[in-house]
Amino acid sequence: MVQIIKKNIFIIVQKVDGIIKGIADFNAYMKAIVRSFRSLRYLKIRSLYTIAVNQTRFTGIDALPLVSWIALLLGATVIIQATTNFPKYGIESFIGNLLVIIIARELGPLVTALIVVARSGSAIAAEIATQTQNREILSLELMGIDTRMYIILPRIVASFAAIFTLIIIFDVIAFFGGYLIALTSVYIPMGTFTQTLLDAFTFNDLLVTITKSIIYGVLIPLICCYYGLKPKSSFEIPIFVSKAVIRTLLIIFIINAVISVLFYF
Amino acid sequence: MECEEIKQLIEVKNVTIEGGKQNLRNVSFNLCLGEDVVFFGAEDSGIDHICPLLAHALEDYSGEVLYKEQHIKHMDFVEVHNFRKIFGYVQRGYALISNMTVYENIALPLRYHTDLSEKEIHELVDSLIVYLHLSHCRDLRPVMLTQSEMLRTAFARAIALDPDMLLIEHPLEGQCLWNAQIFLQALQNRAFAPNKTVIVVTYQPLVYIDIATRFIMLHEGSIVFDGTKEEFQTFQNEYVKQFVDVLPYGPMTLR
Repeated sequence: MVQIIKKNIFIIVQKVDGIIKGIADFNAYMKAIVRSFRSLRYLKIRSLYTIAVNQTRFTGIDALPLVSWIALLLGATVIIQATTNFPKYGIESFIGNLLVIIIARELGPLVTALIVVARSGSAIAAEIATQTQNREILSLELMGIDTRMYIILPRIVASFAAIFTLIIIFDVIAFFGGYLIALTSVYIPMGTFTQTLLDAFTFNDLLVTITKSIIYGVLIPLICCYYGLKPKSSFEIPIFVSKAVIRTLLIIFIINAVISVLFYF
Repeated sequence: MECEEIKQLIEVKNVTIEGGKQNLRNVSFNLCLGEDVVFFGAEDSGIDHICPLLAHALEDYSGEVLYKEQHIKHMDFVEVHNFRKIFGYVQRGYALISNMTVYENIALPLRYHTDLSEKEIHELVDSLIVYLHLSHCRDLRPVMLTQSEMLRTAFARAIALDPDMLLIEHPLEGQCLWNAQIFLQALQNRAFAPNKTVIVVTYQPLVYIDIATRFIMLHEGSIVFDGTKEEFQTFQNEYVKQFVDVLPYGPMTLR
């Protein structure tokens, strides 16, 4: 019994030690990025242009069909549930509020971020890990190119632009696409539906959307690049790509909760 | 070997690297502007540390590497940035950027480091592409290239900024020598250009006999031969003789 307790304590200590070392390592990575801002004066925007454009296209435009379908289906589900159940409790006048709370405040940013992590985050981590293994990152450094600025900065800019746009598109499709699907089961006049939405929207909701776009846009490429630069050999690539996706998802859920508490609690 | 003071490019003083499979032991040499040097030796002789050491890609060593009397280890971020513009580097395996075409790979240092217009970059890159016979694969990515095309692309990228010093690691590894002729001719032209230094690290020193002016051999981390082309060709040094003639017996033991 004592042996089992000792073994478990040892495992917990090891885990805690691993987490502390991980945080220290990520902190060093962040410091290196901050130090790299000194190279901004040497940075030619044109050399980052292709990376930023390709990343925006992949993260934003290429993800649009998937985001649209998920927005449509989620919007329809929420609207059908709301329009069929709220009248039973006599609270149908709160449908607009519910849609804004569920879709605009929470589901829109969260689901968009999840899609971006699954598609682009994993791709960023895998691409950089492969480039590290092929010594392409070293080759950039030997050319005098600041790899932190060259690799990470354009991806952050692209991710922010793509996530912000996708969240807006997600919300609009979820509201109005969902409304059209819901029309097959219940009738709500378009004017009434739009008015209830507008009445429920506040400035805070817009602020939350922008805040989440910025935080997710920065964190997703930052964490995925961090894990992409980690592998020391080829067999470690899938391990670190998996870590990049799982840990980014976990952090996004935590941040989503923290933002909700800060803005609405 | 001594250089005229004004022509001294890099000085390596008593450098020691320990703890790995390849070590360097108290290695010292000068490199002068315009000098073309071949570093050679057996596997694990320490030659693979030479280019990273000169390019400030190694941190963990004792001794000094001086560029214009400044210890490169103590350079700050901006100094390293400027230092790396004075040399071109062809890595072992070439390390071309896999998601860029031949053209984009060659244009990369020009786009990053210069204020040239896109038109000027286009002209410069195209002239390098023609010079190195790469026109047929201008828009191909590295995965579509042959070994010699990859080598020529990496070479074009390394000389795009017309650096004073060119560092090349094992360029002919896995190459067909017949296909490598264009590269060897371009390397010779580069070596013969005034005030341009070429450093080649290789297992095949004889290939560079018409290019290099100085040969340095390492064995177990120490310099065992440092001489001119003429001194190298006499094969008087027993290490050189054993290595070039591929003899199993001599001062070096086969491991």
